[in-house]
Amino acid sequence: MLTVNNINVFYGSVQALWDVSFEVKQGEIVTLVGSNGAGKTTSIKTISGLLSPQSGSITLNGERLDKAPAHKIVDMGIAQVPEGRRLWAGMSVRDTLELGTYLPRARADKAKNIEWVLSLFPRLKERLSQAADTMSGGEQQMLAISRALLSKPKLLMLDEPSLGLAPVIVENVFDVIRQINQQGMTILLVEQNVNHALNLSTRAYVLETGHVVKSGNSVDLMNDPQVKSAYLGL
Amino acid sequence: MCFQISILNSQFQILMSFDTFLNLFAASILTAGLYATMSYGLALIYGVMKLTNLSHAGVLMLAAYGTYWLNTLGISPYLAPFIVVPLWFGIGIVWQHTLVKRIMLMPPIASLLFFFGIWLIMQNFAYLVFKSDIRSITNEATLLTYKLGPLVLSQNRLIVFFAGITALVSLQLFLTRTYQGRAIRALAADAEAARLSGIDTDRISALAFGLGIALAAFAGCLMALIFAFDPEFGRSHLLKSFCIVVLGGLESFVGVALGAIMLALAENFSIQFMPAALQDMVSFVLLVIVLLTIPNGLMSLLKGKK
Repeated sequence: MLTVNNINVFYGSVQALWDVSFEVKQGEIVTLVGSNGAGKTTSIKTISGLLSPQSGSITLNGERLDKAPAHKIVDMGIAQVPEGRRLWAGMSVRDTLELGTYLPRARADKAKNIEWVLSLFPRLKERLSQAADTMSGGEQQMLAISRALLSKPKLLMLDEPSLGLAPVIVENVFDVIRQINQQGMTILLVEQNVNHALNLSTRAYVLETGHVVKSGNSVDLMNDPQVKSAYLGL
Repeated sequence: MCFQISILNSQFQILMSFDTFLNLFAASILTAGLYATMSYGLALIYGVMKLTNLSHAGVLMLAAYGTYWLNTLGISPYLAPFIVVPLWFGIGIVWQHTLVKRIMLMPPIASLLFFFGIWLIMQNFAYLVFKSDIRSITNEATLLTYKLGPLVLSQNRLIVFFAGITALVSLQLFLTRTYQGRAIRALAADAEAARLSGIDTDRISALAFGLGIALAAFAGCLMALIFAFDPEFGRSHLLKSFCIVVLGGLESFVGVALGAIMLALAENFSIQFMPAALQDMVSFVLLVIVLLTIPNGLMSLLKGKK
């Protein structure tokens, strides 16, 4: 479905990604793991068009998207839940959800879709008129995921969804990710909680200083001695 | 009325009759309506694009001249906004797409100089076309007043007030009830998150910029009904707009309304204590005091209490 082919990405003159390639197939949960600064967020931002690669290509179902602007990429079917939620301060939960359906193709069955995300996160239902940035971290994460889902993506990318959340809320968020995947959503996950991420995902890629150094089935990687010592603390 | 309000001053005591108080208060509210209209365009452009539009003053001035010019062609000044405002909305959009878009990527000093330059060009254009004579629009309708008990209200000031409020309320409804309006607010709050929701930020910036300019033009049309003007017109109003926006805290609609009321009250009541010629000074002094004491505006005080 998504193919990232030998991309090189720079911040100014500093190279952040070196010939990075990976793919996500229909219906999978793929996770990118690695330590801080390994290039996980850079990879996701490049796919969503916030950064552009100097060389290499990115395709979604065969369609090139590495030259398209960010809002077009959302329209093509890739939604990103950014790191740190990035909700609009001062805007109510209801307005945030409404704006999640901004794309003309997402407006069609808006009411039904809003109802669907509220069934995934019933807690948001009680918060509809509250300002988004005054909610707890967990609720904010739920709203950020809802906002992304409302653009009706084919591929949902989540950047550090567990960051700063209480363990019990993390379980809740991961359950919902599993649930929407079972409903057919393809997912690309970036997560610092490697244990959680490998448990949830089908396949994984390990990034180190901008290079893909390892890839495979999550189960295999969990038993890989190097991964174990570097990321799982075993 | 025998009721008297006395205000103690260090040197002398001024007695203000209740009638005077009432009239000053009414005048303040009417002025505040215009002030809010005049400053909201500035706040909108700052809020969404983080640009300080110094050419705001030039738009006020040229829109006033536009109204004047249409009047000489026989078009009522009350109908002039229907021509002048859409025109400026269009100019705003074109500006954004051609010049402002590039300026936004540069350091703030570039945009300040850019807008200052545009303002100077506008002034020179006005000197060239309209000469430096002071103009005003007067006819029997502009001089009409109504007496409401002790209140004396000018018809034009009432029209200006209600027209301004109507424009602000419509804009507020647009910003809160429509996709495009909500997109403008999203862009002001977090542009990157807006792009990730499929919002074409270039297009929405242009819309916001066009609206900000259109609102300034509308304020200019309204001002032509009650003020005399020349090509320098708008300078003190630009500073008043800054004062209101700073008072109200940037990016807040309620804040702008509050700021406008505060400034209008301060100005109107100050006439009781000092020469009218110094009235413009009130806003500048207020601006300095606010910047030194509550740099985040009145709304930050309200939020702090919560």
